[in-house]
Amino acid sequence: MPDKTSNGMQCHEFDGLVSDALDGALTGSRLEGFQAHARGCSVCGPLFAEVQAGRNWLKNLTEVEPPVSLVTNILASTTGVDTQRLRANVSSQSLSQPSRVSFRPSWWERAQAWASGAIEPIWGTVRQPRFAMSFGMAFFSLSVALSVLGVKPADLRSVSLRPAAIRHTYYNTQARVVRYYDNIKLVYEVQAAVRMLKRNTEPSEAAPAKKDHKNDTTQQPEQKQDRNYSQNENHLILACAPLGPSVFDSLNQDPLNPDLPVVSVTTYRRFV
Amino acid sequence: MLVRRCVAGDAAAWEEIVQTYNRRIYNICYRFAGSADDAEDLAQEVFIKMYRTLASYDSSKGAFITWVTTITRNLLVDHFRKTKNDRITDSLDAASSAHEDAQPLSEQIQDQSAPPDARVRGREVGETVHAALAKLSPELREAVILRDLQDFDYREIATVLKVPEGTVKSRINRGRAELARLLQRTYKQVI
Repeated sequence: MPDKTSNGMQCHEFDGLVSDALDGALTGSRLEGFQAHARGCSVCGPLFAEVQAGRNWLKNLTEVEPPVSLVTNILASTTGVDTQRLRANVSSQSLSQPSRVSFRPSWWERAQAWASGAIEPIWGTVRQPRFAMSFGMAFFSLSVALSVLGVKPADLRSVSLRPAAIRHTYYNTQARVVRYYDNIKLVYEVQAAVRMLKRNTEPSEAAPAKKDHKNDTTQQPEQKQDRNYSQNENHLILACAPLGPSVFDSLNQDPLNPDLPVVSVTTYRRFV
Repeated sequence: MLVRRCVAGDAAAWEEIVQTYNRRIYNICYRFAGSADDAEDLAQEVFIKMYRTLASYDSSKGAFITWVTTITRNLLVDHFRKTKNDRITDSLDAASSAHEDAQPLSEQIQDQSAPPDARVRGREVGETVHAALAKLSPELREAVILRDLQDFDYREIATVLKVPEGTVKSRINRGRAELARLLQRTYKQVI
């Protein structure tokens, strides 16, 4: 807008007063100066007329009626309340004169609304991509771990939950893990290295003195190791007891017991 | 207070808010978006947003209606930006059709015979003004709607649009003048 002075008022000043003039807020000399400028200025006069005309055009626009379902839809999408009674109210409202909907939700609807209000923030958080990715990764890791451990979902059907079966499974699994651990080459090598290191660092024990047979001039026969043989001919020697409790335990039992699981062998040794 | 009751979980209070403001919000949306379907969707979105952020309303910062209108205006601007590409496509289509055999708005109205009933004629004038309003830039349109259709005062409009009052007045006047020029071209021969 060119800034020229006409009737004591500049154009930019006139522009700032247009709204006030249309609202009837200008009075006295200010109004007279404004009107005089509008009459005299070739730019501001037509501009004011256009603004006035535009305002008059806008008066043709009356308020439009919102759709009757708008309130129902809003309430349904915010509080989750969408009942037959509300629909009935809306339909009666559309038929007759608009009236206030006196809707009071039942306790069940309120409980549902409360539950949805309580769950919605949690569900909204869970649905975030970062949480979804975390859950996905956790599930993937779990499935990989289960497949490494040899757990198959099909096997779960035949799993027995008896205490004995659980204990058996536990020991089996433990044995499998220990076997797996022992069979790892690295572990074996480390264990061997540690053993070797220990052997090298320990002080060497004095070797037992060997009997020198070459220098023996006593002509005495070599004394034999008879420790394991009875010196008495009647001495009972129990050769083996492959099964059942230990031999000495069985000796303490009743000798008349016919179920004694001991095989006894009696030997007589003659000394030459 | 209605808002406080609503924040406390009173469903009836929320319903009262919806009943009180749905007409005004729908009208703002309708005049800004230009279509009844869009206006219904937008009004619904406004209330959903309002419902979620109701606890953040601070009465010391302004009237509830100003807060509601600010939410509405922000949502409308977002919608305008989102649908910008669609409008560009539409206008290209309109240009090509206009180039071939379609007629401009003024000629379309010119061809129509003058309706005998004054009420029908008034409705058609309203539709033409509504169509012309949709041709204004969003800055001018929102200022004109809030002032001339919703009767907000300049300070409230300045709060909603987050611009100084002088800018609000300037936009309103430019919007009115632009609208008058559009309608003058359209209606010169009809009236």
